[in-house]
Amino acid sequence: MRALAFLLLAAAGPAAAQLSLSGEWVGRYHEDFADRIPGDVQGDFTGVPMNDAARRYAEAFDVTRVAVLEHQCQPYNAPHIYRGPLQFRIWEEKDPATQQIIAYRKYLGTYQQWRTIWMDGRPHPPEHAPHTFMGFSTGEWHGDILTVTTTHIKKEFYRRSGIPSSDRTTMIEHYIRHGNLLSHVVIVTDPDYLTEPYITSQEFVLMERGNQNWLYNCEYAMEVPKPKNDVPHYLPGENPFIRDFADKFGLPFEAVWAGAEAMYPEYMPTVEALMHGQAQ
Amino acid sequence: MTAALRIAFPALVLAALTVGTASAHHSFTATYFEDRTIEIEGKLLQFLFRNPHSFVHVEAPDENGELRRWAVEWGGAGQLSGQGVTSQTLRPGDVVTITGNPGRNASDYRIRMLYLRRNSDGFDWGRRPGETFD
Repeated sequence: MRALAFLLLAAAGPAAAQLSLSGEWVGRYHEDFADRIPGDVQGDFTGVPMNDAARRYAEAFDVTRVAVLEHQCQPYNAPHIYRGPLQFRIWEEKDPATQQIIAYRKYLGTYQQWRTIWMDGRPHPPEHAPHTFMGFSTGEWHGDILTVTTTHIKKEFYRRSGIPSSDRTTMIEHYIRHGNLLSHVVIVTDPDYLTEPYITSQEFVLMERGNQNWLYNCEYAMEVPKPKNDVPHYLPGENPFIRDFADKFGLPFEAVWAGAEAMYPEYMPTVEALMHGQAQ
Repeated sequence: MTAALRIAFPALVLAALTVGTASAHHSFTATYFEDRTIEIEGKLLQFLFRNPHSFVHVEAPDENGELRRWAVEWGGAGQLSGQGVTSQTLRPGDVVTITGNPGRNASDYRIRMLYLRRNSDGFDWGRRPGETFD
């Protein structure tokens, strides 16, 4: 009788035993620390396959725009938020009758954002549906990798240096768990501002103890007195800081500004030629 | 690894693990000249004790002697509270001396707070361990 009960319990398990992602995860910042946490000088455009429209936008961008009332508390959007300081919580929502996972819920401490990753096979909404900073997400497991597709994302930026993202951005994420570490790979496609997919990765570690860094209080105030409706910006060719990053690290500005071409090893001879040219 | 780095590295790791969310807002390095300092002395006009960052507005002369409204960026209310600063610590009319990093846009008259001293009673911030912000 006891053996039969055990057999029944074992057979009642889920059809596919998925890895659990539930818990509270906090970022590890050893990768791209300067870009993700303190931020560097202006003009870092490296590693982003930006197109000419993005270049024009970035050239006009003044980093003090975030001090404008309308932007002070504006969240990073889903493709950007994982690139800053972040901890998030994941939990499962299950169908009470079947105990199948309907959705993963996420709460992100930075800007107090909520995400739902639907796992029940529902379609994405039509194109004209409202966009949000976190977008609309669906997911599916491929082996032990959770792959999430997100659409309907509000426009924002890929970098604090002013490389813009459009509201036609779509995002594929892969969540890959190794014990208490979570690798998070993000592949962004943007027909308006990128020439090819922009790929980033970051690591998170499962928190063994809780903390209180879950709130992002933000109150609107006139931080820096400005005339009403003033939007900090630079006219074409007049951004005095656009070469700061290149100058700080001794790089040719053309390489920092090149977009996709400069992301691959084949570009190294070009960098060397540019640097040789600068040296002459 | 140098001795200084050996000391600094655990602190960096700790800071990264416990980093508050305020630093997502903007890059100080991009906003201010961190290799320069400026000192102003003048009358406090407004103290915005808030998150993600507080601001102190001070009326003080610029390098040409013309009075300007300077916006001095300080820590968020949450972070400053842990350092003994409250919304009542500073009041309009206080005469203060402030040292900090000047903003990259000179016309903004903006400073990142490094040190503040109130002349009337000697209250100060920025010289004791832990009196920083991110």
